[in-house]
Amino acid sequence: MGIKIRNVTKAFGTYTAIQDINLQIQKGDFVALLGPSGSGKTTLLRLIAGLENLDAGKIFFNGIDYTAKTVKERKVGFVFQHYALFKHMTIFENVAFGLKVKPRKIRPTKKEIKEKVMELLKFVQLEHLADRYPAQLSGGQRQRIALARALAVEPEVLLLDEPFGALDAKVRQELRRWLREIHQKLNITTIFVTHDQEEALEMADTVVIMNHGKIEQIGSPEEVYEKPANAFVYSFLGKVNEFKGESLVTNFPHVKGTEEAVGYIRPHEIVLHQQSNENSIPAVVIHINKAGSTVRFELKRLDTDELFEVEMTSDHYKKQGPFHKGEILYAEFKNIVLFDRKTNSIQTEKNVQGEVVSAISSYMS
Amino acid sequence: MIAKEPLNVKRVGAGRIPLAPIRKWLLIGTALGFLGVFILIPLLVVFTEALKKGIELYFAALKDVDALAAIKLTLMTAAIVVPLNAIFGVIAAWAIAKFEFKGKNILITLIDIPFAVSPVIAGLVFVLLFGSQGVFGPFLETNNIKIIFSIPGIVLATIFVTFPFVVRELIPMMQEQGSEEEEAAITLGASGWQMFFRVTLPNMKWGLLYGLILCNARAMGEFGAVSVVSGHIRGLTNTVPLHVEILYNEYHFSAAFAVASLLALLALVTLVLKSLVEWKTRKNG
Repeated sequence: MGIKIRNVTKAFGTYTAIQDINLQIQKGDFVALLGPSGSGKTTLLRLIAGLENLDAGKIFFNGIDYTAKTVKERKVGFVFQHYALFKHMTIFENVAFGLKVKPRKIRPTKKEIKEKVMELLKFVQLEHLADRYPAQLSGGQRQRIALARALAVEPEVLLLDEPFGALDAKVRQELRRWLREIHQKLNITTIFVTHDQEEALEMADTVVIMNHGKIEQIGSPEEVYEKPANAFVYSFLGKVNEFKGESLVTNFPHVKGTEEAVGYIRPHEIVLHQQSNENSIPAVVIHINKAGSTVRFELKRLDTDELFEVEMTSDHYKKQGPFHKGEILYAEFKNIVLFDRKTNSIQTEKNVQGEVVSAISSYMS
Repeated sequence: MIAKEPLNVKRVGAGRIPLAPIRKWLLIGTALGFLGVFILIPLLVVFTEALKKGIELYFAALKDVDALAAIKLTLMTAAIVVPLNAIFGVIAAWAIAKFEFKGKNILITLIDIPFAVSPVIAGLVFVLLFGSQGVFGPFLETNNIKIIFSIPGIVLATIFVTFPFVVRELIPMMQEQGSEEEEAAITLGASGWQMFFRVTLPNMKWGLLYGLILCNARAMGEFGAVSVVSGHIRGLTNTVPLHVEILYNEYHFSAAFAVASLLALLALVTLVLKSLVEWKTRKNG
């Protein structure tokens, strides 16, 4: 089912949660609504489900105006952040709920319900837990049951609110893969909310990045990561070092930004040298963390005393290193991206000249 | 007044302070001694006094026509008040726990009024409203409706004093549970009624029962408010507590204690049921 959201606004009292949002979701798409807390992503999901009433705008399902339709009429599958399994019912009864509450005329027989529920439990690989109660299940198992329960009524849209938020890292990883598989198998339009950029970039086909009740950028994971529309998207989608004001204008030899500019560079894009060159800045090593596949450095610029982070693969480190705490290295900020602080957009050629522009354009391409 | 704690508060690790044994036993001894003197001994006295003149006289006192009438009236009052409080309590608790509206805090405060005012005042309020000199007095008289000094007055006064029990029990419970399960039921296609009977009600079951047990105990035991509105008409508007007072004032001590022992028994049954429900809630919670 395709979904179109047109000029939708929603406020809670004086707080505007969603501000004039437009969004089109294709049938079968796998969409992540990504943003920090308070960005309105959960509200948008609940508006789509009909769990909140919008203040202005319209929502279309398959081109039909669904704005005034009730939750029940929308026939969406909704998976809640804390699963919202019915505590007093067994797993079997939980999954069967949607079938049992159907009007008598279209309600399947007891036998059909049983077959369908067992089939779903098998699908989520938990058929052995049919007689247990939710309290007896682990978080990951509960999440799978919540999904089975939502799928029982054969929804055309599946909405998930922070589906893996409450799970530990390992289970989360497993369930991410599993949810992707389910999406591929059923090809059902799926929208999930997350604040974890890694999760969004890894799972979704389309990422919608939200901030302060507005959409900052829509695109495939590659698009939003490689071509961030603005400073917010750039900084939200991964670790960044931020330089602004005087330190940006005067102290980067190759950067000719203005006072209004803010420069961002990801830790892995900074190159460290043991000898200085014309574009490098001297910095002292404060801390080195060698655990894992990447080596992380914390350095302090000698000229402005600003701290920044650098990452390199451990292979690279082995070739170049070893570096020591207190050692002075020369950092090259070749890929620094400049944003206009007022408009938040990438500064154009007019504001920035020379090498930076070429750096940005090489970065953008 | 029964001071009670919210059910859902689990008293985890009520810190064990290392105390010298003597202090520990002094504390325990004081607590137990106090309970014994003020609660256990009076309870025993009720039963010993009731049975002092033999088991036959005990049952004779209970089988007395007026006593039976009082028991009947008390049971009837409870039978009306408890279900009504269940319904009003659920509605009020739902409104307060799950919706945001103006004047919500005022409503919460209003609910506590019956706990805050003396029951005698509660009774007087009804007399002032429905008595022959009261606001609705002339209207009631012309339509030949009797509220004060008759059963409707007793029921009204009892509803007033018992109203907070169910609501107070349900609000924190429903607030803690939130609305997610109900929203889940709706997204799965349940109607409002299906949601209520299949999800909301089962979830509040134990809290509701707990509130109802306390409500029932108070409804049967209420003295002050009922005393003002009842008129003490023997065999007609006398409830068990009022009957006890009459018997006592007329120096029928054994009979008074015999009837009083019924209320004491009710208290014991209430406590057992209450503990059972608490245990169940902990198990299911």
